[in-house]
Amino acid sequence: MTGVPQRTRMSAPDALPRPDVLVPQPYELPVPTRFRLANGASGLAYDLPGQYVLSVRLSVPMPLRVEPRDLEGVATIMARTLDEGTARHTSVEFARLLERRGVAIGCGVGDSGLSVELDVAKHHLAYGLDLMHQCLAEPAFPAEEVARQVSTRLAEIEQERSVASHRAAAEFAATFYSPVGRSSRPVGGTAETVAAITRDAVVAFHAEHVAPAEATVVVAGDLAGLDVVAELDLSLGRWGTPDTYRSPGPWQVTPRADDRARIVVVDRPSSVQTELMIGAPGPDRRHPGGWAPYPLLGFLVGGSPTARIDAVLREDKGYTYGIRSTFRPRRRGGVFITAGSVRSEVTGDALRLLLDVLEHGREGFTQDEVDHAAQFLVLTAPSRYATADTIADEAASLSFDGLDTGFTSRNLVEIAGMDAERAGAAYREFIDGRWTVVLVGDAASFLADVQALGRGDVTVVPN
Amino acid sequence: MADIAYPIAERTLPNGLRVIVSQDRTVPSVTVNLWVKVGSRDEVPGRTGFAHLFEHLMFQGSANVASGEHFSALMGVGGRLNATTWFDRTNYFETVPKGALELALWLEADRQGRLLDALTQENLDNQRDVVKEEKRQRYDNAPYGHAMRDVYATLFPEGHPYHHPTIGSMEDLEAATLDDVHAFFATHYGPNNTVLTLVGDISPEDGFAAVEKYFGPLPPSAVARTEGSMPPLAPLTGPVRLERSEPVPNDRLYLAFRLPADATPEFHAVGLAMDAIGGLSSSRLVEHLVRQERLVTGLTAHPLGFAGGVSLGLISADISAGVDPADVERAICAELERFAETGPTDIEMESAVAETERAWLSALASHDDRADHISHYAALHDDTAYINTFLAQVRAVTVEEVRAAAARYLQPSSRAVVAYLMAPGPIADEELS
Repeated sequence: MTGVPQRTRMSAPDALPRPDVLVPQPYELPVPTRFRLANGASGLAYDLPGQYVLSVRLSVPMPLRVEPRDLEGVATIMARTLDEGTARHTSVEFARLLERRGVAIGCGVGDSGLSVELDVAKHHLAYGLDLMHQCLAEPAFPAEEVARQVSTRLAEIEQERSVASHRAAAEFAATFYSPVGRSSRPVGGTAETVAAITRDAVVAFHAEHVAPAEATVVVAGDLAGLDVVAELDLSLGRWGTPDTYRSPGPWQVTPRADDRARIVVVDRPSSVQTELMIGAPGPDRRHPGGWAPYPLLGFLVGGSPTARIDAVLREDKGYTYGIRSTFRPRRRGGVFITAGSVRSEVTGDALRLLLDVLEHGREGFTQDEVDHAAQFLVLTAPSRYATADTIADEAASLSFDGLDTGFTSRNLVEIAGMDAERAGAAYREFIDGRWTVVLVGDAASFLADVQALGRGDVTVVPN
Repeated sequence: MADIAYPIAERTLPNGLRVIVSQDRTVPSVTVNLWVKVGSRDEVPGRTGFAHLFEHLMFQGSANVASGEHFSALMGVGGRLNATTWFDRTNYFETVPKGALELALWLEADRQGRLLDALTQENLDNQRDVVKEEKRQRYDNAPYGHAMRDVYATLFPEGHPYHHPTIGSMEDLEAATLDDVHAFFATHYGPNNTVLTLVGDISPEDGFAAVEKYFGPLPPSAVARTEGSMPPLAPLTGPVRLERSEPVPNDRLYLAFRLPADATPEFHAVGLAMDAIGGLSSSRLVEHLVRQERLVTGLTAHPLGFAGGVSLGLISADISAGVDPADVERAICAELERFAETGPTDIEMESAVAETERAWLSALASHDDRADHISHYAALHDDTAYINTFLAQVRAVTVEEVRAAAARYLQPSSRAVVAYLMAPGPIADEELS
């Protein structure tokens, strides 16, 4: 188990010549069967042979601005209490009903709306759908369960504050977005607003905002021998839209702060690392110039250990374990985010190098770089989308935007044919050198270095 | 429910490389997954963190591959790849379009056989820096970041192979020389200490031929590790504890137990016991402490299976504001005692088995994870078809076996407690000012 005496290693013979790679067949994501349930919900079914755990995803679009300002987080508490007791079962009984058949249900809220996820072995689909239907159509929202979810969320707020990456994301939102917009504040609410949430507020919110009328349900997995539409008609299809329901209406552009281009330091004395989050406006999926260049650009700039950023900050300098860039689309508008951590004492130099790499992209990318990134994104697609949960998640996520996986397939075709000129122009369209920068760390160890960069106002805030 | 039956074909090359092929033509890709039988448990005192540092160096080039080229060459043809290090092993894996399988094997064979030709002081220094940042990010700069290190050190005796964490000590890494790295490679890396699994769009015949082509010429250069050589480690005979005051957001308790080695009937039994006690959402501790009494905001319980004579059972509880952690610990201990006497109810057994079934089927859904599981049980437990037989083994466990396993392994007197308690630190100071 331990060391062995010194000895001479048996040497390997010379390697064979490097083998050629055979070009794969063009790929398209699985094509769904489309249907509509009696209650108006749209449906997509993906038959994926060999995927014996089925993934069911329900998306209910809901902009968070519909939350009352003084009760922000009510959508999150509502979602988390959906499976904590129904008209027919207590919270404990319901948990037992789920687990006796190995049914997993998860409910959550993001900035596009409510997501309910069901993962269930194929032979228990009907059983799982019945329980999912009960969560949606007849949640009891027991007062003690709402109170428990409020306590849990309050504890979670403190936990998030203690994690540098979460703290950075919260400060970024507060800096980047205008305070008049919901997006400037946490999806799950703040301690003040969450503490004010009552059972009545949850019940009222559910009645007004959760309904099948504009929802999409996705089922993915090995569907051989199943009549998925019939199963859904007997379960989720019976979930009705209450009279109290109000359609969310058109989506609005999230207003950005006028003074978003600045540096904010969240001071955490004695931190051994600085968490960086750097961002600028980005496109949404309906961008007139097309969405396709942006996944490619995110990958090329900061998607791997050999991408432009880590080639410098990780592999050359050894400043970081890894820094990642990504363009994140929202319903209207988007954001280009670069995030990661570096050791405290090099924060100033790391920020300088990062901004250099990010801005250097305005001078364009070589066709080789673009081809490399395109090959990765296009040729990994078959294995990235090989499982029921990945297909279902992709379809559900796009459904919030009124799209489906045909969008993903079309983008892959565009990415495969991307030329460097288009990629460079797409990058320049958004990257103009005006950055929102958040640094979470020990201000004393790097503040002077950061100020000396001359990259604009530096504000220090407490953790 | 029906048993699962993924096809498994196996062959051992003359140089000792164990090759397993599981054909699945649903997607036109192949996963290549290697388990090298070296992990942090094989490290010697003064050289902790070595297995993991070494994993990083495996991406810095070999005789015919430039530094970083392993990543770029595979990603550029549609490969997804990475590597991880753990107590019992180091694994390397990529999923590639089937037309790139030979390139993947060529790259893997080059670094398995010819790494040292390319290893330089500069690469060593750079990756040592990267690993230090990994440690700062994942452990030093995270709340509760050192809790698992404390759990291992409290539960396993000084000098035991599982006493220290995989990330190791920075002082040891600082002391690492090129000679150390050469010796580590010579000892542990070679086809006779490795299992290679292919899962995906390839037949066993073609898979064996391709692996033989690139790995066949490599000599059996490693000192092959013999599994099953670590003696069992009995449960603690009296409770031990470690308390830390840290700037954490809430008090948290970890109760750790020595369990039997992975892939044994007793391990399955104690795993089901942990599900019923605290792992399930309908488990006893979640029902009482989370839902009813609200003494904790969250509680988890699960086994971590190791190969070397002992595994780890962990219960962790986030204490609600204003609640005394001692009350929570007492309540957990009382429930453990009750469970050891009465065992699980039929509904608890049914639930624990059903949840295990879904989780196992989900874990095998992708080629990459399936390949990793096949390599795991072939390398550490000499059981190539384990993915197909595991559920039957779990279903065969009886109520009495679960009770007996809990009585033997999950007694309060056998617990190691690590408590992270809120202390006024820099974060709290800010609030006061």
